[in-house]
Amino acid sequence: MATPQAAQTIRPQQDAEPLLDCSKLVRRFGSRTAVDGVSLDVAPGETYGLLGPNGAGKTTTIKIVCGLLEADSGTVRVAGLPVRAAPGPAKRLIGYVPQEVALYPDLTVRENLLFFGRLYRLPRRRLERRVEEVLELIDLTARGEDRVDSLSGGMRRRLNIGAGLVHSPTLLVLDEPTVGVDPQSRHAIMESVRRFGDQGMAVIYTTHYMEEAERLCDRVGIIDHGSLIAEGTPRELVALVAEKDQVQLVASGDLTRYAEACRALPEVEGADVDRSDEGTVHAVVRDARSLLPRLLDLAHANRVQIRSVEIVEPDLEAVFLHLTGTALRE
Amino acid sequence: MRPVLAIALKDLRQRLRDRSAWVIVFLAPVVITALMSMAFSGTAAFHAKVAVVDLDHGTAAAGLLQTLRSPQLADTVSVRSYPATEEAAQAVRHGPEQAGIVIPAGFTAAVAGGRPEPVTVLSSVDYPLQAQLANAVATSFVAQVNADRLSVATALTAGALPADLPRLSAQAAELRLPVQARPADASGYALKGVSYFGPSMGMFFVLFTIGFAARGYFSEQRQGTLDRIAAAPLGRGTVLLGKSLATFAYSLAGLATTLTAAHFVFGARYADPLGVAALCVGMSVAVVCLTTLVIVVSRTERQAEQLSSVVVFALVLLGGNFVFASAGPAALRRLALFTPNGWALRGFTDLGTGVSGLAAVRDPLLGIAACSAVVALVAAVLFRLRRTP
Repeated sequence: MATPQAAQTIRPQQDAEPLLDCSKLVRRFGSRTAVDGVSLDVAPGETYGLLGPNGAGKTTTIKIVCGLLEADSGTVRVAGLPVRAAPGPAKRLIGYVPQEVALYPDLTVRENLLFFGRLYRLPRRRLERRVEEVLELIDLTARGEDRVDSLSGGMRRRLNIGAGLVHSPTLLVLDEPTVGVDPQSRHAIMESVRRFGDQGMAVIYTTHYMEEAERLCDRVGIIDHGSLIAEGTPRELVALVAEKDQVQLVASGDLTRYAEACRALPEVEGADVDRSDEGTVHAVVRDARSLLPRLLDLAHANRVQIRSVEIVEPDLEAVFLHLTGTALRE
Repeated sequence: MRPVLAIALKDLRQRLRDRSAWVIVFLAPVVITALMSMAFSGTAAFHAKVAVVDLDHGTAAAGLLQTLRSPQLADTVSVRSYPATEEAAQAVRHGPEQAGIVIPAGFTAAVAGGRPEPVTVLSSVDYPLQAQLANAVATSFVAQVNADRLSVATALTAGALPADLPRLSAQAAELRLPVQARPADASGYALKGVSYFGPSMGMFFVLFTIGFAARGYFSEQRQGTLDRIAAAPLGRGTVLLGKSLATFAYSLAGLATTLTAAHFVFGARYADPLGVAALCVGMSVAVVCLTTLVIVVSRTERQAEQLSSVVVFALVLLGGNFVFASAGPAALRRLALFTPNGWALRGFTDLGTGVSGLAAVRDPLLGIAACSAVVALVAAVLFRLRRTP
């Protein structure tokens, strides 16, 4: 994405009144509780990451924040305005970027931006000016008259974000904006999100990629089974497992059974399988070096062939493993 | 109001970029109306080519020929004489003639003497109506001759002298049977086929708008654009209003196109243009209500597609879009009153037969309004039931 002109860097105003204030949100679907007492706040200029696996309750939380779903209990305030009681003024401040590319493929890039801008009743001149600014920001000025179905996947993702920016929101809500995006576009999206924060926009960013959360977010909330189980800056969260080691075992065989066996060891705080690349078992342990022979014995007993072992610095992945006992990428 | 218009214009723009929508709502009804118009204009310009074989050459035969060539039948029948029956039969069988009349030898003598000598009518399987016409003309002539003979016989029985027979016969021949029936329309002018099938086909294809709109709604839900719209600060019902406005405008444009083409190109005739416009508006409102019902009842794009197809075909079959409502059985005519298109066709039929003003459209508009209200009520109740856990 293009660099915006005269970008002003504004750091999170930690002491300022929160722009987004969610308190004890609960949402049930039948007997399943999708969001269970989530409370969080985001300050102006702050980028807040909501990190959790698929089905953890991130999207439901986001939909409650944006007024797309009603919470069974709890409140959401944007700049002090209650989303439920005064949805109009509160929604005007929110820019929503859904997980899927929510655009009209048979309309042009410009027509899409104009349409979403009109929903916010922007005056015509201002809307046209703003559409040009957004096109420049998402680096699609040259493709303004092209139909969306002729754009590449990365361009569509950028336009998807652009459509949430047309009305100049003060709170940008991005729901997994990099899912299914190539590395180059992913990098571009992350850079622009960083800039939105620098310009004073409050950003709430859901992801299940911990490296995105680590790189982008001033604060991260870890959500699992609908509950916010930890919150803090990435550094604060990693400090939770500072005394622990993270062991990565690249292996083949019945890794699920092996991870289960690992978890049964008292020194192991969490172990799970990541099958995203080659099979890897992640484990958060106390004193990896003395525990390693037992982990290898356990592998042998479970007929698991270990190809490599690495002891790495704890990161948010390790934090999640430590807190939930399972890996983030499920 | 701006967001409502934005949603409506966006929907219309999308539909107008969809070629299949153009074909179904604008092109297909005009083409079908054209075909219907051609079929029915054939009936209006009915003409029979009749071969005549005169094997009698007497005065009675000359009388029949004179009848066939009379000015009254000049527009309907053209007559060509053939010397022999076989030649005439050949011309009827293979063209150019469509029917034939063979006046047998001794026909005049038979008329005078009373010995029956029947006229033969030659027919072709391709032109049954023309054969019926030839038969009717011959039968009518024979009926006239029989009437003359009856007059003469009555005179003779009453005491007239045989010497007066030629004079009595000539006098009787000048008398004509009274006209027994004259076709006349009770309400101004006869309904043209195109005046019925123009709006009928227009409505049939406009009902497909239900499917377009319902599928479009679920497609937006799937794509996430509906959520994106809902995230904007819009009033309650803005999305529904915007989408309904687009469906209404699209239906109205489809009907208006078909009826304009039916009138200006194919000669459909209606007594009151305002009545036609009112029926089109009423029918478009009904399409909006039906679309809402299909969206409320369905859960997926596929369900919406299937349900809208069922609704369209049920309505056109019950409403009489494929046949003249008056040609159907009484039960079907009653069922048509439960459909908005059935009511609209009733209105178009009245307007097409010269009835004008409120009398032509009041009942149909009330009927359409009642059907639309019931559909909207059912949709509202189902919507509430679905939202209640």
